[in-house]
Amino acid sequence: MTHSSTQLLAHGVGGRSDLPIPAGYAYAAAAAALVVSFAVLTLAWRSSKFSGNAGGRPLAAAAATVVDSRLIRVPLVVLAMTFAAWVSMAALFGPASLVNPTFGSVYALLWVGLVPAALLLGPIYRLCNPLRWLHRGACALARISPSAGVVPYPARLGMWPAASLLLAFVWLELVDPATATDLTSVTLWFAVLGAVLLLGAAVYGDTWFAAADPFEVYSTLVARLSPYGRTNKGTLVVRNPLDNLDGTAPSPGLVGVVSVLLGSTAFDSFRESSRWLRFSQQYPDDTMWLNTITLVGFCLAVLLTLTGASAMVAGIGHMRRRDMPNLFAHSIVPIVVGYVVAHYLSFFVSTGITTLQQLGDPLSLGWNLTPWAYELDKYAIYDHPTAIAVTKVVAIVVGHVLAVIAAHDRAIRHLPRTQALVGQLPLLVLMVAYTLTGLWLLFSS
Amino acid sequence: MPTARSAGFAASLLTIGLTVVACSNGAGTDRAEEQDKSTASSTRPSDEVRNTSDVEPESSSTPSEPAADAVVIEVKQEGGTIEPLGDTVKADVGQQILLVVDSDASDELHVHSEPEKSFEVVAAQDQRFSFTIEAPGTYDVESHSLGVVVVKLQVS
Repeated sequence: MTHSSTQLLAHGVGGRSDLPIPAGYAYAAAAAALVVSFAVLTLAWRSSKFSGNAGGRPLAAAAATVVDSRLIRVPLVVLAMTFAAWVSMAALFGPASLVNPTFGSVYALLWVGLVPAALLLGPIYRLCNPLRWLHRGACALARISPSAGVVPYPARLGMWPAASLLLAFVWLELVDPATATDLTSVTLWFAVLGAVLLLGAAVYGDTWFAAADPFEVYSTLVARLSPYGRTNKGTLVVRNPLDNLDGTAPSPGLVGVVSVLLGSTAFDSFRESSRWLRFSQQYPDDTMWLNTITLVGFCLAVLLTLTGASAMVAGIGHMRRRDMPNLFAHSIVPIVVGYVVAHYLSFFVSTGITTLQQLGDPLSLGWNLTPWAYELDKYAIYDHPTAIAVTKVVAIVVGHVLAVIAAHDRAIRHLPRTQALVGQLPLLVLMVAYTLTGLWLLFSS
Repeated sequence: MPTARSAGFAASLLTIGLTVVACSNGAGTDRAEEQDKSTASSTRPSDEVRNTSDVEPESSSTPSEPAADAVVIEVKQEGGTIEPLGDTVKADVGQQILLVVDSDASDELHVHSEPEKSFEVVAAQDQRFSFTIEAPGTYDVESHSLGVVVVKLQVS
């Protein structure tokens, strides 16, 4: 594999990264997480106070009209489609080297970027999803409604297709560095994804996108932490992000999606550690299998512990075990977002800037369509290790706090009063375990 | 439930106490407790390897005496394997880092700093490559022919 002289090293290839967080920060954060967990358990409210999709203050009529209007939505969709087309052009006709903006666009701008986009703008991926628009176009030509399918989508499958495709994506991104930076593999992966999504939409209608498109499902889930939402009647409202999170539908497969997201971020952190490098690099011919097994292992560990803890809650409250994991999986979303911020922040900034520069010359013909991107210093973020370390730790702790509160509220809504406190303990312990693991990974990277 | 409440209070007090202790200790000792770290930051200007914006292979420099407080990393490549294989080595910003390489094959060692540094290794003993890193962060030193991370440099 040849190295180019540019510094973009797509995730998976060795490069520059953050220092580990200092031990003191890790201990302080762990202590804060424990304090908050106990405080919420013993001092917080006793009856459920989140109102899910029913709550929120309606946006002023004028603002709502603007947001819902073509004036805003059309440019957003056009921007998204242009971006997708531009990157596709680079992927198909650009050079097969690290100067190709495809890698940065996929691994930084899309995969990491959709998190802040969702937090700030709500579920815009659903609006801008290029595949949805392709599907709509095809349906318009065939004179059928986009939501009509050949068969109705089996509701019990829920989000499991999305969970599987998310696992497929993180496999591409994380397991084999050669695959992650091989243009043909990335292009092929997205071609297959497009085919799967468009064919599925032809069979099931456009609900397939909400069940199977990994990026749409991820974005919509993170958007549950944004301050915007819609009531069940479709009114645009501003609401407390915790209320919004509470309204996440407990669909089957939610626990799978959350497990893949958390497990893969944890694995990404782990595989860069000296401990793992020392072990896995001894077996260069088996690196792919070692990494695959470990990635799947991390995701399964989250799935099993989350299911187990939820089942214990069910046992304490004498409820049906089968329903429980998806009832509580939404409370892991803040932990996922905290992990993502902590792990990907500097990567997103530095690789994002590099990618913006490269997008100005997608075919490596000497164009310079993004000169403004060269004014930005892509490595400036690394000159502030203390600020980065503080941000990481704060992100993890805030994620933990929101998660504990969300789980608390859900538990007291469903558990009988006498078991409300004890019933929460399995989940609380689990969340503390996730947070301590995240802090340990940041500390020992 | 009174017992749960008082248990909660006690636990909260305990963890607050731990936090205070951890903060006051952590700030002072997170440097001291690191092992591989050489002696404290040097003020002596170290040998700068020429920094070009392109990757240029550099051959072994004549063994100038390393600064007394340089970080020395011994790399041994033999029969298709290399040692170390991903160890973490700590260094200060601007501190001289010296790679002492014994190898039985030709190779390239890349240091993923900005700009990237590349050292050409030949089949010889005691090859020395000296450089410094001027910005904090974690940098991989990688063997190009074997495709493995040799050392992770934590520069702070």
